Amino acid sequence: MAKPRRIDYSSVQKKEPKLKPGAKLWIKFTIAVILVAFFSVMILVGSPGLGVSKVSDIKTGIDIRGGVSATLYPDVDDVDSVTDEQLQTIQEILENRIEAKGTFDYNMSPDYENKRLLLEIPYASGDDTNPQKVIDDLGEMALLTFQRWDEEKYAFDSSGRIVFLVEEADLKDDNIVLDGTDVADSVAMLNKQDNSYMVALTLTETGAEKFAKATAELVRKPIAIYLDDELKSYPVVSSVISGGEASITGNFTIEEAVELANYIKYGALPFAMTAQEINSITPILGESALNVTLRAALVAFILVVLFMIIRYRLPGLIASIALVGLVASEIFWISAFNASITLPGIAGIILTIGMGVDANVIIYERIKEELGRGIELGEAIDIGFKRAFSAIFDANVTTLISGGALYIVGSGPIKGFALTLIIGVIMSFFTAIIVVKYLLKAIASIKIFGKTWLYGTKGVAR
Amino acid sequence: MIDLMSKRKFFFIFSAVLILIGLAFFLINGGFNWDIQFEGGTIIKIEMKDDNYDAAAAEAAIENLLGKGVTVQKETTFNPDDQDNKLALMSIKVSKENTLDNDEINQVIDYLETSPDFFVNTETQPQIQSVAPFIGVELRNKALMAAGWAMLLIVIYVGIRFRVMSGISAALFGIVALIHDALIMLSVYTVFNIPVNEVFVAAILTIIGYSMNDTIVIYDRIRENSSVMSKSDIEKMVNTSTWQSLPRTINTLLTTLLTIVTLYIFASIYNVDSIKQFAFPLIIGLTSGSYSSIFIATPLWMMWRKYSIKKKLLEAKS
Repeated sequence: MAKPRRIDYSSVQKKEPKLKPGAKLWIKFTIAVILVAFFSVMILVGSPGLGVSKVSDIKTGIDIRGGVSATLYPDVDDVDSVTDEQLQTIQEILENRIEAKGTFDYNMSPDYENKRLLLEIPYASGDDTNPQKVIDDLGEMALLTFQRWDEEKYAFDSSGRIVFLVEEADLKDDNIVLDGTDVADSVAMLNKQDNSYMVALTLTETGAEKFAKATAELVRKPIAIYLDDELKSYPVVSSVISGGEASITGNFTIEEAVELANYIKYGALPFAMTAQEINSITPILGESALNVTLRAALVAFILVVLFMIIRYRLPGLIASIALVGLVASEIFWISAFNASITLPGIAGIILTIGMGVDANVIIYERIKEELGRGIELGEAIDIGFKRAFSAIFDANVTTLISGGALYIVGSGPIKGFALTLIIGVIMSFFTAIIVVKYLLKAIASIKIFGKTWLYGTKGVAR
Repeated sequence: MIDLMSKRKFFFIFSAVLILIGLAFFLINGGFNWDIQFEGGTIIKIEMKDDNYDAAAAEAAIENLLGKGVTVQKETTFNPDDQDNKLALMSIKVSKENTLDNDEINQVIDYLETSPDFFVNTETQPQIQSVAPFIGVELRNKALMAAGWAMLLIVIYVGIRFRVMSGISAALFGIVALIHDALIMLSVYTVFNIPVNEVFVAAILTIIGYSMNDTIVIYDRIRENSSVMSKSDIEKMVNTSTWQSLPRTINTLLTTLLTIVTLYIFASIYNVDSIKQFAFPLIIGLTSGSYSSIFIATPLWMMWRKYSIKKKLLEAKS
């Protein structure tokens, strides 16, 4: 029933410069070969122009490289009140803080849906900084305030030193004279008087005015400097400071002074962010897991190829060639999307090696069935592809739906798995209906490859 | 050709028994064994120079340090550099009520690294997993939501594509098969008391896709055959369609199992837990997924179809 239609079609085509049907087959065959070769070569050598790196250069996730991942959540009662802009600002501030700690290889991404920030810091070999320590205090608000105390809460002793008359925590009554937004710059400096370190502040114009006014009122009285709720120092104002320069002293070590200066310089968060989920993976385990998984992938690939060739013979061999293209294209797209290779991601590739031949299995079983009915080879292949199409299409859509759901909710490594699954399904669909079809039809048209035993059937009508 | 459809009761009972065993264990264990990822808690694994250390002393010292209850256990793991020698680990586990924050984690590590009683290998990073309890519950709910949404979307899609088979009902029986697979996987997890975590959810979602995929291939055959074969003997038509799809179902199951079982074997030999955790539920799910397409979804749909045809005939008569 398909035959007459095809004759009509080719009679229309004949008005064009003549191309023998055989020639067309071989053009398509060449396209299929080029496709497989393209992806295979791409992942072996890479192409900076296409933004694709070769397989050995694709970045690996922290589950392989080792490192720390943390999920930072806003420390507020009403999470819904957190805006996207706030999250963005916080991200910028935190990135500055991380870099100020000397870590530049990290990845921070906002999750606006769930109002949180995901931070990944890979472990760098030969680097002494411990990623675990980078997370320490990272999400503190760092709200810098200059405050005045109630005069009844402290007194001076005989040597002029301040003594607290109440508990230290009760001193603070949020009588703020200046805050972090009034500071233009802050830097750690050596205090030459006592060889300790201090933080020198440069105030903004309005800050300088406020400070001059406040110090005028506070001469010979202490001005308390708080970072969040922590009392950092409480120098006594000796005279009115109007030049817009101020300093925080407090017998700091150099590290403490640098850290304090950075916190002030890189701004205060509207609220604190706390790490509620921390994962740290040692690089040594990730590395060995990678080797094991890659070896498993190779063996799995060989087994599937053997199975396909034994079960389906010549078409099985063609499916195996297409499978090379499938795996190569999968790695190609991972690299093109700039995604990382994770262990579940490789598991996803291994799974698509198995599931990816499914489309071929559906088609080949169909072809065998048609051959069994005594239908001629070329036509059996056509019918096989045509009849199998709807099953392959519908089946792939459902896998895509569940893969998509997984991609949306999954965290880092699981997203990697979902991504490889999705790419695998899409690419296996195309390799089956383009690569396998073109290769098979062209090869089956050659006389010596037309023998039905090569297709795993005796060609006898049942 | 064996009439698979007439033996359906046997398959229904077989599945029911498996699920009931799972349910029994669920009741005995008092629920699922949630991983700390879905429940909250902290695990720290520190590589030690050797395994000659006093776990009980470490436990007491850390409890004293934090003022929180912890469990310390000795563990070993595969050494990639020296296959004959395993690496010694100290595993410190903290329950969800006492989940450690980053400061406390660092306190523990600093203490162990500087203590004269314990010899930590300071050249590597400790392995840490810590999840606040409320986050764990949130992750768990989100994962369940994702599975729910995926199923709903699949019902809608299959419903539209299989109108000939009265789509929605076909899709619903496909979903029954999916729920069957999820229950079988959960049963295996409960019986062996394996912690349920995100990896497991990933496996369930993969199986949802795979199982529906399997069911659809059989449905596709029924869709095709229902236009060429007599509609009067629906049981025969469904049975023929199932047999025609069987080679594909088995071969695809075999190729997929080949890959995942290989992965599992490699992960077991080299003791890569994360991969084992991934491969195991997939093996169970793939098998169950193929089984349920043939022996659960298809016969259920057929029973429903027979019933509705009979009802229509009765209505026409009266």
